[in-house]
Amino acid sequence: MPTSLIDSAEIRTRRILIVDDEHANVLLLASVLEREGYRDIHTVTNPAEALESYIRLEPDLVLLDLMMPEVDGFQLLEAFKRHDRPDEFRPVLVLTADSTINARRRALALGAKDFVSKPFDVIEVALRISNLLETRILYQRLQQG
Amino acid sequence: MSEVRPHRPLTRFWADRPLALKGLVVVALPLAILLGALVSLYVASNAEVRAEDDVRRAVAIQRDTYQAHALLAEAAAGVRGYALTGQDRFLEPYRKAEAYLPQTFARLDQAIRDPEVRGHFNRISELAVRKREGLRRIVELAGDPAARRGEPSAIEEALVSNKIVLDAMRLEIELIQRRESVLLDQRRALVEEVRDRYLLLTAISALVGLLGSLAAVYLFSTGIVRRVKMLEANAELLARGDELTNLPEDADEIGTLAQRLARASALLRGREQALRESEERFRLVIEEVRDYGIFALDPDGTVTSWNLGAQRIKGWEAEEILGHHFSRFYPEETREFLPAQMLERAREAGTAEDEGWRLRKDGARFWANVVITALHDDQGNLRGFAKVTRDMTERRRSEEALRVAREEAIAANLAKSEFLSRTSHELRTPMSAILGFGQLLELDEDQLEPRHREALSQIMKAGRHLLSLINDLLDISSIEAGGAELAIERLDLGELLQEVHALAGPIVAAAGLRFALEAPDEPLVAWADRRRVVQIMLNLVSNAAKYNRTGNLVRLSCTARGRDIRVEVEDDGAGVAAADVPRLFTPFDRLGQQNRARVDGTGLGLALSKRLVESMGGQIGYEAPEQGARFWFTLPVRQRARAPRGAPAKSE
Repeated sequence: MPTSLIDSAEIRTRRILIVDDEHANVLLLASVLEREGYRDIHTVTNPAEALESYIRLEPDLVLLDLMMPEVDGFQLLEAFKRHDRPDEFRPVLVLTADSTINARRRALALGAKDFVSKPFDVIEVALRISNLLETRILYQRLQQG
Repeated sequence: MSEVRPHRPLTRFWADRPLALKGLVVVALPLAILLGALVSLYVASNAEVRAEDDVRRAVAIQRDTYQAHALLAEAAAGVRGYALTGQDRFLEPYRKAEAYLPQTFARLDQAIRDPEVRGHFNRISELAVRKREGLRRIVELAGDPAARRGEPSAIEEALVSNKIVLDAMRLEIELIQRRESVLLDQRRALVEEVRDRYLLLTAISALVGLLGSLAAVYLFSTGIVRRVKMLEANAELLARGDELTNLPEDADEIGTLAQRLARASALLRGREQALRESEERFRLVIEEVRDYGIFALDPDGTVTSWNLGAQRIKGWEAEEILGHHFSRFYPEETREFLPAQMLERAREAGTAEDEGWRLRKDGARFWANVVITALHDDQGNLRGFAKVTRDMTERRRSEEALRVAREEAIAANLAKSEFLSRTSHELRTPMSAILGFGQLLELDEDQLEPRHREALSQIMKAGRHLLSLINDLLDISSIEAGGAELAIERLDLGELLQEVHALAGPIVAAAGLRFALEAPDEPLVAWADRRRVVQIMLNLVSNAAKYNRTGNLVRLSCTARGRDIRVEVEDDGAGVAAADVPRLFTPFDRLGQQNRARVDGTGLGLALSKRLVESMGGQIGYEAPEQGARFWFTLPVRQRARAPRGAPAKSE
């Protein structure tokens, strides 16, 4: 484990929302997270329900697939951004099979905090997730004073 | 013939002389003849003067002989008188004779030329001497009174002998006179003859001079005036545009003028011919043109002429349409405004062009290209319009077909790329699950049965292979769809080579080969996408490592070649069979299918490398060294205008 300001146990208590229309991918990410010790994991395979879940669950981190039918990841990114307060740091990690620079740029421009292309390295994804959560916790602490 | 020949060059020679020389000859010839006549006159008059001198001399001789005779006779008579009377006054003639006779004889001696006369003269001179002697004696005797009285017989005797001498002298003088008169007659005749000859010569000279002048003038006039007349006649022909005939051919000014005239005529006739032909062609073109409807309108738009093309395109015969307004060529929707608009535009701008639907006689539509040109007279008044109509229906149709075909082709290509791209995405998504779960299992490997571990290893191996295949396919499809994402930047290839050498070191080492690097110390700058160049180098190096089963070396090198940097990857293995070389860069055409079981690879690496190199403005190729295989590619030293730095490509 890398040295960290935040207790890794605290990180693992955080709530994570996984949005992907592919059931297998949702299951894979959930498995990775469970293996890492995360317990508060929520999944959505129907993108139409994603925003509702986001609002209801107020997750600490979202794992979002870009290429989905009907409502794609870009639209959801915009919707999340509209919903959040401007000073809120709620990281979205985009995971997509579309590895073009354009997709990357667009996602990051819309507020995604990180970008991983599929297929991904399991360990790398786990590290990025814990990093993002750590940043969120630090941010929250700063805000609380 | 043989007589004409020597004659002809002479006339030719004369005709070819310049006019100035001819004029000189014409003026000089009679003058020369006149000069000749003058010389002959001078000679003749000299002869006459000589003859007249002779006559004068003859007369002088006659006169002097008479004088001598007279002096002597008078002297004798005087002496006789003195002898008889003794009176001194009778001696006067004697003294006169004594004074004058020597002069007279001296003159005669000078004047006499004729030998016969000279003989007489000599005798006379002798006699004269004797006579004067005799007279002197008588005078002496008569002067002595003693002798006069004593011897009168001596005086008588002297007188008698004197008389005899005088008679002999008279005889001689008569002979001279006779001779001289004969000579005088001869000389007079000679003078007459010379005078006649002189007259004849003068007459002949005058005649010859006259004839000479006439001949020269004739020559001049025939040579020049005749030929000038020929020229004049030909100038007349030239003015009429007829062919020239009978031109003087000589080399003088007139001949030259004739040649100029002939040349001018040829030129004029050539031009006239060309003009006639061009006019004829133009008329034929207008009348017979079938692809263009060419016709004229009056200022109001009424049709005033009609050609074959118009008839063919629009369907009306000339007699059916002449006198009608041209708006009937327009379909209903434009008939109200477009014809008037077109004429207005042509009036203002000089010409108006339009492309659109027009009507045929049978009501069918055709797509026409129309040009209307305003026609003005010299004063600038509008006289009407020329209208050229072209049936573009076919072209429009083929253009349309071409456009559709092109769009279809583009769409098909896009669809293909889109399909490939989507397919790759679709394939990568499940790969994500396969490889992800596999990796999860690998992380907990120690919990697996050994046979499961082996199975997992195979799944991961096949999965990774499949993924690299899909990635290559995605790359190729995005390049072919024009969406290659290139981040062109300034690269030091030497440095990049070092990097690749380090990166690929383990692969080469795993194949049991030595990995040689040859890069110059100075930087080798090229413009390319760093990530892609590394990808290409890695592909070539791993190929070399994979396929080199028999050698022991992989060599990576880099050199500057003019406007390119050339990178080479060489090995000392079995090389590529000559027959397989043309297929090296074709997708999925992996060589040596028999090796497939032993060699990992997608079969897309070289095809992808080729597309990447070319999209960066370079070239890629293969050449066979003595041993092994050598792949090379080039990258441009200069930045290409089409792929500017920092503006990497469109991507969708």
